[in-house]
Amino acid sequence: MGLKGYIHDIVEAVVTTAKGMRITARYGVDPKEEVTLQYPEERWEIPQGYRGFLHNDIKACTSCTMCVKVCPVDCISLEAVRGADKKMVLASYDIDIGRCMYCGLCVEVCPPKSLKHTSGYEMASVSRGELVLHFVPEDAAEIKARVARQVAEAAAKAAEAAKAAEAAKAAEGSAEPPKPAAGPPEPPPATEKKE
Amino acid sequence: MESLALSLVKSFPALSAAPMWAVSLALMVTAGVVVLVFALTFEGVGSLVLRKVAGDIQARIGPNRVGPNGILQFLADGVKLVLKEDLIPEKADRFLFKLAPYLVFVGSFAAFVVVPFGVGLSPADLNIGVYYVMAVTSLVVIGVMLAGWASNNKWALLGGMRAAAQIVSYEIPVGMALIPAVLVAGSLSLQDIVRSQGGLLGLFGWNLFHNPFTFFSFILYFTAAQAETNQTPFDLPEAESELVSGYNVEYSGIRFGLFFLAEFGDMFIVAALATACFLGGWNVPFFNAALLPPLWGNLLSLGVFLAKAFLMVLVMMWVRWTLPRLRVDQLMRMSWKYLVPLTFVNLLGVSLWLLLFRGKGIPQMIASVFG
Repeated sequence: MGLKGYIHDIVEAVVTTAKGMRITARYGVDPKEEVTLQYPEERWEIPQGYRGFLHNDIKACTSCTMCVKVCPVDCISLEAVRGADKKMVLASYDIDIGRCMYCGLCVEVCPPKSLKHTSGYEMASVSRGELVLHFVPEDAAEIKARVARQVAEAAAKAAEAAKAAEAAKAAEGSAEPPKPAAGPPEPPPATEKKE
Repeated sequence: MESLALSLVKSFPALSAAPMWAVSLALMVTAGVVVLVFALTFEGVGSLVLRKVAGDIQARIGPNRVGPNGILQFLADGVKLVLKEDLIPEKADRFLFKLAPYLVFVGSFAAFVVVPFGVGLSPADLNIGVYYVMAVTSLVVIGVMLAGWASNNKWALLGGMRAAAQIVSYEIPVGMALIPAVLVAGSLSLQDIVRSQGGLLGLFGWNLFHNPFTFFSFILYFTAAQAETNQTPFDLPEAESELVSGYNVEYSGIRFGLFFLAEFGDMFIVAALATACFLGGWNVPFFNAALLPPLWGNLLSLGVFLAKAFLMVLVMMWVRWTLPRLRVDQLMRMSWKYLVPLTFVNLLGVSLWLLLFRGKGIPQMIASVFG
């Protein structure tokens, strides 16, 4: 390193320092350069199509289990039983948002469009269990028991109706041989469950 | 201090009953307490200003929660530091570990003794002022080294060793850059140095404008002093990204607080020395504060001195948030290959100038041309 390089080094050090200090001074003086958002008081505008926490409108949900099947991280668990009117009744619908990666596949696939992304992004909990969102407020076992009772009642009603119909038939024509008292009982309530 | 005690006894005859040494002692303690309170306040407010400046420069806001606009943040910090548990690592050398922060703080605070705050406001006007500051601030290196060694932690030890190497290396350029001011004034006493920069030339009586070499020596001093006090472009002893936190990594609570205070104290000392030696100290431009009645003269000169010193502190913060940290080898190269030779050449230049022009600076020559 000759004298020329030595002096060049010094000059460069001074010049670059001055340049840097000019930039920082500009930022330091200009109050408009502040980019901080005072979060709890000020909030950013949530963009359209923002994928926040999932929300399932259980009244519209048909328990088709599409969301359960499509979920890449298996964070949705759904329990449903077949009700008296042959429709599925949700027993429980839980989303583990600690596991959810907000990919949005479940929302895309949902046939009744009951599953939606909300704009919510704030949540705090002291344990991981609290991160599981429950969308069916009642207890799953209670719902299952109630549905089973309804199904049984409906089956009994159907059996009675069948008996009455048979009795009427028997009264009409006594020549026919008596049939068994009731039809085959309803199949046990279908339970679909996927973890 | 004795002369002040004498004048005090003269103006308050009631005091003459007390022995002279008692009055002197009381005055010394008072002066010490006043300076300590000033130092602590400066260090507190300085930390807040540092963070605010950092926020502004980095397009952030900075502390704004405690008190209006965050101005009480330093109190919250202080309370937190005092209340935190005082941890001592199991395998640390307990005695040295406890001693180190005090050494660092004493080294930094003792330099306040000779700072010329005003016309007659200097805790002690030592006739070896500059030399004393240099000597006493070097005490910091012992404390830092001890802290690094006694923590029994590899990061702390590395930080302490770096600090020792750095402070010892930069001591030379700092001293050599201050000597021009001493040469111009012909005295090591900081008060004399400040007085030599007064006079009718005002701003241009300052050593900064005395001749080109003193101007360079101011810049060299400022650069080297930043390194000597471990300010950010040269803060290798506590480089967070390499050494976690360097020599003070094992410290917590008020012991950490002492390191912290010492850092800000050093900052003020550097600014005060730069002000006193190159920026005219407490001299009010175009006005002789010593001619006023003592109280007003002192207050005015104190205000001027503090304004200049705080401005220098602000510049130091500005540099701190501008430049990235140097590498160890770069740091050493800068000291030994650039600053040391430059300061020596500079010293030679100043000496020759003073010899050739009989101690006259450029502004004085211009003034003499116009009569």
